[in-house]
Amino acid sequence: MGLPNASEDLSSEMEVDAFRRLFPLRYFERHLAESIRPDARPLSRARDTTISMGAVASADGSALAKIGSTTMLAAIKMEVMTPSLESPDEGCVSIDFHMPPICSPLVRPGRPAEAAPVVAKQLSDTISSSGMINLKELSLVGGKAAWMVYLDIYCLDADGALFDAALLSAVAAFSNLQIPTVSLDDGKIVMLPEEQKEENSEKEPVNKEKRKLTLGGIPFSLTCILHKNYILADPTSEEESIMETLVTVVLDSSNQLVSLYKPGGAVLAYTSAVQDCIALTRQRVKELHQILEEAISGMEID
Amino acid sequence: MEFVSPEGLRLDGRRPTEMRQLRAEIGNVAKADGSAVFEMGNTKVIAAVYGPREVQNKSQQMSDQALVRCEYSMANFSTGDRMRKPKGDRRSTEISLVIRQTMEACILTHLMPRSQIDIFVQVLQADGGTRSACINAATLALQDAGIPMRDIVTSCSAGYLNSTPLLDLNYVEDSAGGPDVTVDKVIYVDFALNGRVKASVLWDLWLYFGSYGLKET
Repeated sequence: MGLPNASEDLSSEMEVDAFRRLFPLRYFERHLAESIRPDARPLSRARDTTISMGAVASADGSALAKIGSTTMLAAIKMEVMTPSLESPDEGCVSIDFHMPPICSPLVRPGRPAEAAPVVAKQLSDTISSSGMINLKELSLVGGKAAWMVYLDIYCLDADGALFDAALLSAVAAFSNLQIPTVSLDDGKIVMLPEEQKEENSEKEPVNKEKRKLTLGGIPFSLTCILHKNYILADPTSEEESIMETLVTVVLDSSNQLVSLYKPGGAVLAYTSAVQDCIALTRQRVKELHQILEEAISGMEID
Repeated sequence: MEFVSPEGLRLDGRRPTEMRQLRAEIGNVAKADGSAVFEMGNTKVIAAVYGPREVQNKSQQMSDQALVRCEYSMANFSTGDRMRKPKGDRRSTEISLVIRQTMEACILTHLMPRSQIDIFVQVLQADGGTRSACINAATLALQDAGIPMRDIVTSCSAGYLNSTPLLDLNYVEDSAGGPDVTVDKVIYVDFALNGRVKASVLWDLWLYFGSYGLKET
């Protein structure tokens, strides 16, 4: 499309939306030069984040997390299973991430989105390595019965920073989890419905006290985009598609690094850039921790 | 099992002609051209519409009307026991077809030739009547997207248990094994009917109750 001058001339005559579609990189760079982004955020600020617990009544634990427009619904279902021979007193956690076609015009039915398995694997690895869940707590009867925790996360709207929103919803769902009561019935574990509290003479619940999981170091994350020497925190999907170098940093609540993920990209990051990303994440962890605490205490009041 | 008590109350305390609480919201999915969330009691469904847009599979393009596609899927956690295969099974394919045919009849497809309209419906919580909730949500989403339609489509289910016609079945009543019917009605024009009908003698009764429910919707 010609010389750099051509777009400069056109830009004074063209409509803003047309310029945004035809020369997206220049559009963004014009904003970045003024240290601001098209949605009027400063470069280091994340979008408004909200968490709402108990979004799915039929699940054992659930949460809906929104970062800007990106919406993730996480729900946990628990089932009893026989533990494996190598770890007879441990339960198991299975994490599944789905991107149904409603979330984005780019996802086609019949063909799973490219980002879905990547985010699913990242989530699995992050949650197991952060030590948030102690698998031994999921054991019911050593060697015979343990809990299988199925965590399903559905993306209802994909507008950038998918991993951050998914991790936040997963963590919130675990905080909201109420383990169902079970009892031993002739050597078999039987799930007790909530109402049967009076007729409990034979069916004493095996785990009446232990209804909530104790969560270890809770991981929080922030995704940043690197472009030339700018660092943009919490990108939207438009920003992600134009400037493709992403860095995701996961810290736990004691500010220890759980994971650092930079899958290639045109920009090679120097140590200073990585350190800046970690500093931004540290700030974000404080915000997210507070939002999560408020959501949890909001539920307890009810 | 008794579904209607001698006083005439159902398991959840409703009267036979009473519907569950309805709730609707539009514009939830920012990325979609139109979207809506529809709740009927505990059944919660989200629908998103993308279109009219370019046809993805050129061989299916029609030169005189728009192509309407629909996909119905249930979240793993939507039912009581976790579902293993949320889409691609026979029930989901059948419901996708039903929703597509219903909406195709109402959308003015001749106004948008060579284009495609995608309707995606995701069930978040299932407690009976998912088919109806999906059609209602899809209608709202299409309206939110500004797609020209003949009229609003509403849908409601009805059944027959313990010798009583019942409106808007929940999951327990639906699984009881009695006959049931889902009625979709376009106001003023026509209606599409789908369902298993066991006794033609009761046909009129169902139609009456189905229409009654639709007036409320």
